[in-house]
Amino acid sequence: MIRHLLKLVWNRKRANALILVEIFFTFLVVFAVGTLGLFLWDNARRPLGFDWQDVWAVRVNMQAGSDDTFTAEQVETAARLVREVETLAPVEAVTGAMMEPFAFGQYTSGRTVNGRRVSMSVNEVTASFAEVMRFDVVRGRWFQPADAALAWRPVVIDEDLAREAWGEEDPIGRRLGDPDPKSPEPERRVIGVVRDFRHHGELSGPDNFVFYHKRLGHPQDRPPRVLLVRVRPGTPVAFEEELTRRLQAVAHEWSFEIAPLAQTRESAFRLRLTPLLVGGIVAFFLLLMVALGLLGVLWQNLLQRTREIGLRRAIGASRAEVHRQIILEQLLLTTLGVLLGTIVVIQLPVLDVFGSVLRPQVFGSGLLSASVAMYLLATVCALYPSTLAGRVQPAEALRYE
Amino acid sequence: MLGNYLKMALKVLARRKFFTFISLFGISLTLLVLLVATAMLDQIFAPQAPESRGDRTLGIYTASLRGEDSVYNGFAGYGLLDRAVRGLPQELPGVENISLFTTARAAISYVGGQKIESSLKRTDGAYWQILDFSFLEGGPFTAEDDAAARFVAVINETTRGRFFGDEPAVGRTIEVDGQRFRVVGVVRDVPILRVVAYSEIWVPVSTAKSRAYLKEYQGNFMALLLAHSRADFPQIKAAVDRRLDLAEAHIPDRRMFQTIDAGADTLFEAVSRTLFEARESRPELLWALLLGLAVLFMILPSINLVNLNLSRILDRASEIGVRKAFGASSHTLVGQFVVENVVLTLLGGALGLGLAAAVLAGLNESGVIPYADLRLNFRVFFEGLALALFFGLFSGVYPAWKMSRLHPVQALRGRTV
Amino acid sequence: MIQLERVTKKYRTERVETTALDNVNLTIDQGEFVSIMGPSGCGKSTLLHLIGLLDAPSGGSIALDGKPVERYGDRALARVRNERLGFVFQQFHLVADLSVVDNVEIPLLYRKTTGKERRRAALAALDRVGLASRTHHFPGQLSGGQQQRVAIARAIVGKPAVLLADEPTGNLDSQMGDEIMGILQELNQEGTTIVMVTHDPRLAERTHRVVRLFDGRQVQ
Repeated sequence: MIRHLLKLVWNRKRANALILVEIFFTFLVVFAVGTLGLFLWDNARRPLGFDWQDVWAVRVNMQAGSDDTFTAEQVETAARLVREVETLAPVEAVTGAMMEPFAFGQYTSGRTVNGRRVSMSVNEVTASFAEVMRFDVVRGRWFQPADAALAWRPVVIDEDLAREAWGEEDPIGRRLGDPDPKSPEPERRVIGVVRDFRHHGELSGPDNFVFYHKRLGHPQDRPPRVLLVRVRPGTPVAFEEELTRRLQAVAHEWSFEIAPLAQTRESAFRLRLTPLLVGGIVAFFLLLMVALGLLGVLWQNLLQRTREIGLRRAIGASRAEVHRQIILEQLLLTTLGVLLGTIVVIQLPVLDVFGSVLRPQVFGSGLLSASVAMYLLATVCALYPSTLAGRVQPAEALRYE
Repeated sequence: MLGNYLKMALKVLARRKFFTFISLFGISLTLLVLLVATAMLDQIFAPQAPESRGDRTLGIYTASLRGEDSVYNGFAGYGLLDRAVRGLPQELPGVENISLFTTARAAISYVGGQKIESSLKRTDGAYWQILDFSFLEGGPFTAEDDAAARFVAVINETTRGRFFGDEPAVGRTIEVDGQRFRVVGVVRDVPILRVVAYSEIWVPVSTAKSRAYLKEYQGNFMALLLAHSRADFPQIKAAVDRRLDLAEAHIPDRRMFQTIDAGADTLFEAVSRTLFEARESRPELLWALLLGLAVLFMILPSINLVNLNLSRILDRASEIGVRKAFGASSHTLVGQFVVENVVLTLLGGALGLGLAAAVLAGLNESGVIPYADLRLNFRVFFEGLALALFFGLFSGVYPAWKMSRLHPVQALRGRTV
Repeated sequence: MIQLERVTKKYRTERVETTALDNVNLTIDQGEFVSIMGPSGCGKSTLLHLIGLLDAPSGGSIALDGKPVERYGDRALARVRNERLGFVFQQFHLVADLSVVDNVEIPLLYRKTTGKERRRAALAALDRVGLASRTHHFPGQLSGGQQQRVAIARAIVGKPAVLLADEPTGNLDSQMGDEIMGILQELNQEGTTIVMVTHDPRLAERTHRVVRLFDGRQVQ
């Protein structure tokens, strides 16, 4: 039967070509939106690697000349700020960092490890960062204030980076980045590994992460751009005002911007979900349009085939068989469209468009769910016309020319 | 004759309600999406108040500093922009005015224990001459206020409401980030998508907490150059490029950065420059991207329309036969289909326009985009409509024409099973 | 083998009720070649459709092989049509988008057969009607007479007991009509029961028995 229908579909290629093209493009749209959704969902269910609740970020605007020009006085003021905040009653812990988690923008670095280029996101944090953000070190150790005296610079990496750079081998004590005599960068060695640290939030994709050690009050290290303050649970928002006042008292010329991480996290969510939402709404209406259009076209095609169906009924097809045949024909056409679409979409990973951002499982399930969605769509569209086909009265269909 | 066609067309469309509905749905939905998207783009790029002179304005919106292994992509500092534009009006007759100002940054105030977060922009006096704000109260601050570092501020309508309820604000003071400003003017709210004009509070550049910004190359400043006409653009761009080349010698971190990539761009060129990280502005790339997206989006609706039309016509093969048998000429038949498709497209267009107006009003109302003031772009509406007409006629009339040339007996008999 | 007892068929539209067949009694025995004659609109085709189980009577009963068919469901009726009956129509009703041999195979698709068997049976049937050389043509490429021969091949490919033909020569010139009639007569001699609707008295003469209808009634 399938061969018979295939022949029928093929011999009607002129009538079917447009439907096929429509199915093909619809598949691409469903795949794109579906994969984006799956990508975000897959990310969202993975552990974040730190605790953001009751942490406030204080962005420090110290009016420095530029990134690498800062004065000893500024370094000293920043250290005093941290000491001042530590003394406040609602504060549990304070740390300084280059960036706060969830913030827009990123600092990435590429290094050659064992001759292979590995890219990673970087944050430079002071020793109390682990205490404020509450995460554990799974291997080795975290920074200590005493590390300031080391001749080399210690780094802590996350599991993603450990895996990509050294596979199953123990990364502790390894050099991050092959020696490069041209580079002024100091030698950096791994002292610890933490679980995947998802700096950009729950919805972000896989990302290698490395922490540099920022020495508070050290004349060579840039003062922190942001202070992360863990406050006691239940601290009222009104504390922000007092905090600002205390900070302002230490550094008159600087300005401060306080935002709970919860708030930054929400705007990060919005930033990543908006494209999905807009795309999803547009895709939904496109899909609705295509579904109605296909339904109309199939219906129309069927009206033209009333006599063929009457004939099939006359020579022994039951109602159910006719019904099934129409749906099967549609599914065959859908298979062709999906196959075509898959061939096109498969080119993306083949050409390495996504890099390591899109996990193969996510790509696979995107492909699968788009195919399933197309079959569902086709079945739904064919259901009504095929029921009509089942109702064709052979005597009437064959009576008149 | 046309009235007759019209009556027939409406009858046919009313009889085939389902097909009419799907076609209308497709056409109006496609136009809706196009119109909403272009309303957003217009809000960013089109010369709308207060940037009513946007069509003869150039700006240095971002800058890249490059060195061997370091790249800075971001906003420029005051020092860099000052070197790039200071004194240009005297040097080039084509330049009418210049302005330096910061991007809008969050600033915190506390009023009666309540935290108020506002966007704050620091500007010079010329800013208020180049842009065309509409003042509800008072007026702008001046170049003189800036030179004397007076703590004065212009606020928008919403900020006035936050600080003072509905009472007049001019003459009263606000405290922002620990600094106190006297309000001199209140302006109408500005949409957040307008990067140059948008803020909630505007204060003089010189009120910054330290003078360090004066020498910065990296920072959060932008520059605007108002030209007499667009014809002056090439000359201005060349002059700015020359000055930027000279400015390279004064980069504060010469060890890290040696070259500057920036230039006087229109806003569209600037977005293209940042988006594609191009060293020169390549507006055609952004055009290509936008057009590509539009085409990608419109493929499906077009195929859908063509598909529907084709089957609509095939279905009427026998009708054509009957009409020919009764003496209708090919011309009248094709005319009938043309009118039908035009009516359908215009109906869909009207529907799409209405829907788009409703959605834009809803977006403006909802506050999803702060201070949004999205408007219909009628040019895009007519272009979309023309496209729908093209596909409608192409897919509806061509097969009808072919069919109308069929011999009546053939048409009557239709196809074999 | 086929018995119609006091069969009536009425068609209703919203207001009018028309009687297409009124109290028809007819028995067709195995091996018979019966023709049904009458002016157009007299109910010939309706009668053939009732015999072919394509339509249900409004009154009276129809029995096939001694079994009343009223109680058959859709699936059972389809089965009987497929295995016991074959149809030939005035307009051939070939599927334009399928080749000749694929058209002939259609009835076997609704049975449990393998693709090979289907193909063999279809080729044998085409051979039987003298079209073995045209198996891969499409209907549009054949003459009217050839198309009708394909239709006959399709009707006999499932080896039915009864062949029902509705004006099989109505769209053909007399020479081709004679050829078709010849094939039908041969099939009858090989044991197939044939019921043929026609308005051509010359053809009717060549059958065993003529049933005449006038205005839905049987006339002698």
